[in-house]
Amino acid sequence: MDLIGELRILWVAVVAYVLAGSISIFGVLLKKRPERTVLGLMLLGLALHTAAIALRWQRLDHGPFVTMFEILSSNVWSLMLAFSIAYWRLPSIRPVAAIIMPILFTMMGWLMTVSPGETHLPPTYHTVWLFIHIGFGKVFLGAVLVAVGLSGVILLRRDGRADGWFSRLPDSERLSELSYRCMAIGFVFETLMLIAGAIWAQDAWGRYWDWDPLETWAFITWIIVGISLHARLTFRLSPRLGAWLVIGVFVSAFLTFFGVPFISQTPHQGAV
Amino acid sequence: MPRLVLLLASLKLTLVTFVFLGLSVVLAYFNEVRTSPWLVLSLSLLSLNLLAAIATNPYFRRQVPLMVFHLALLAIVILIAIGRLTYFKGRAEVVEGEAFTGDFVEIDAGPWHPLGVEQVQFINLGTRIRYAPGPVRIGTENLVGWINDQGKPEQAVIGDHTPLIRHHYRFYANWNKGFALMFGWQPNTGEALRGSVNLPSYPANALTQARQWSLPGNVQPIWAALQFDDEPVPENGGEFRLPQSYKVVIRHGEQRWEIDAGQGGADIDLPGGRLSYLGLRTWMGYQVAWDRTMPWLLGASVIAVLALAWHFWKKFAQQPWNA
Repeated sequence: MDLIGELRILWVAVVAYVLAGSISIFGVLLKKRPERTVLGLMLLGLALHTAAIALRWQRLDHGPFVTMFEILSSNVWSLMLAFSIAYWRLPSIRPVAAIIMPILFTMMGWLMTVSPGETHLPPTYHTVWLFIHIGFGKVFLGAVLVAVGLSGVILLRRDGRADGWFSRLPDSERLSELSYRCMAIGFVFETLMLIAGAIWAQDAWGRYWDWDPLETWAFITWIIVGISLHARLTFRLSPRLGAWLVIGVFVSAFLTFFGVPFISQTPHQGAV
Repeated sequence: MPRLVLLLASLKLTLVTFVFLGLSVVLAYFNEVRTSPWLVLSLSLLSLNLLAAIATNPYFRRQVPLMVFHLALLAIVILIAIGRLTYFKGRAEVVEGEAFTGDFVEIDAGPWHPLGVEQVQFINLGTRIRYAPGPVRIGTENLVGWINDQGKPEQAVIGDHTPLIRHHYRFYANWNKGFALMFGWQPNTGEALRGSVNLPSYPANALTQARQWSLPGNVQPIWAALQFDDEPVPENGGEFRLPQSYKVVIRHGEQRWEIDAGQGGADIDLPGGRLSYLGLRTWMGYQVAWDRTMPWLLGASVIAVLALAWHFWKKFAQQPWNA
């Protein structure tokens, strides 16, 4: 199948995601529980998105790792997958979809505006460590995204109306505890991502660390996650303060994953 | 327990040192000197804090995985410090058919690096670099040969993801390569010399294929340029190759000479001797690295992350997620 066919399938997937997100937002506002429909649409979107990525992979003979279009598409896919698993396994937090899906809408909108042009996989990307490194990174970002949804509810609850919308969710202390768990998973996987990235860099460029923009900002994000986890233990932070720290981590991680490619020609400067 | 140790073990100090470390990393990122005193100070403070906390905080004795994680972190910091004191990083260029004799274009080494690179010897036996249309490099295969410890000749193809490892020095061949003008120099008195002038990396510097250098005993420099209309890196894909039709332009003061392809052996009389153009070859660039802490760093990092996962697993298993 050609590029047009691949993009058609991707757009249908995006429509399914947008419908799932919109229904979940209206569900929260109208205090309805369209959870089965939302989960069904998310899974439909994921299935179609998987097909679009697989077709591109088969056509170009490499995974979605090089261009901004590929990086955004694969991250929308992995974030949707991470959130779908959380949505399925943790029914008590399902209304957080109303916060998480708009974040993903932004990424989907961005995805629709970048060129889906094709490129070759650099020779330094022909390694199993690429998959391991990126896989760990996607789990990290997925865990942080769920934590952001939970933190968003904690922060919105200050507003009386929003408190009503999210009244079905557990109390803020419990949400903060769940968000801490997600951050802990994220910390483990970001550590694994940095280790796998160092092995790949040593293998490909003869150095495990070279201060390239992406590795430096990924390490700064790791430090911020470390600070947020330690701060919770040291100061017994309120859920609101804990929530702000999670937002801080997400902003740092988001800028690292999607901002650095703007200042670097390839995901890793000098990668080719 | 001395008050200073308790102060050093403080969790609040951990937070301060974390912030300090973050700022030092940002400073290092924006500066040319990466290992700044701020980075060293923040890592030293973090190590002291870790050590004091492990020694005094009873929580660590109750939580073995957490203690293992923090000990592994401490080991990582110490190993990085050893690595920075002993590392070697260099860049070398070896002409096809010639031997690596320990000459580097760039060297960066820690103050305690036990120099041993002179023990490494190998010959660049030729390079094959494939390009896809674009042109986009697909892969580099560089054939190298050396005499092993038993005195027998050995050969290997190195390239992307496959370095040559000799005496713990790792030679990585990837994108950096170019053309070399081969010259002979017969001084009026003394022994004849033979050498190469390596032109800037190609195709990164396709428009500046020229270099200036000085001959032994000659004050005025010589300038040489390679001019060609061929595509050594084919636009539509193929292999990197020497240009078939080219011209070598040589300048010395006001004088100028042009040598066409195939005119190997062309002589130029200069003050102090005779310069002979011997031909055109390729050179291969090698990124060279030496760091004996690497396997230990990897081991400590894996232990750290496993211990961290074990700690969180134990902690979260006490209460279900859906409670």
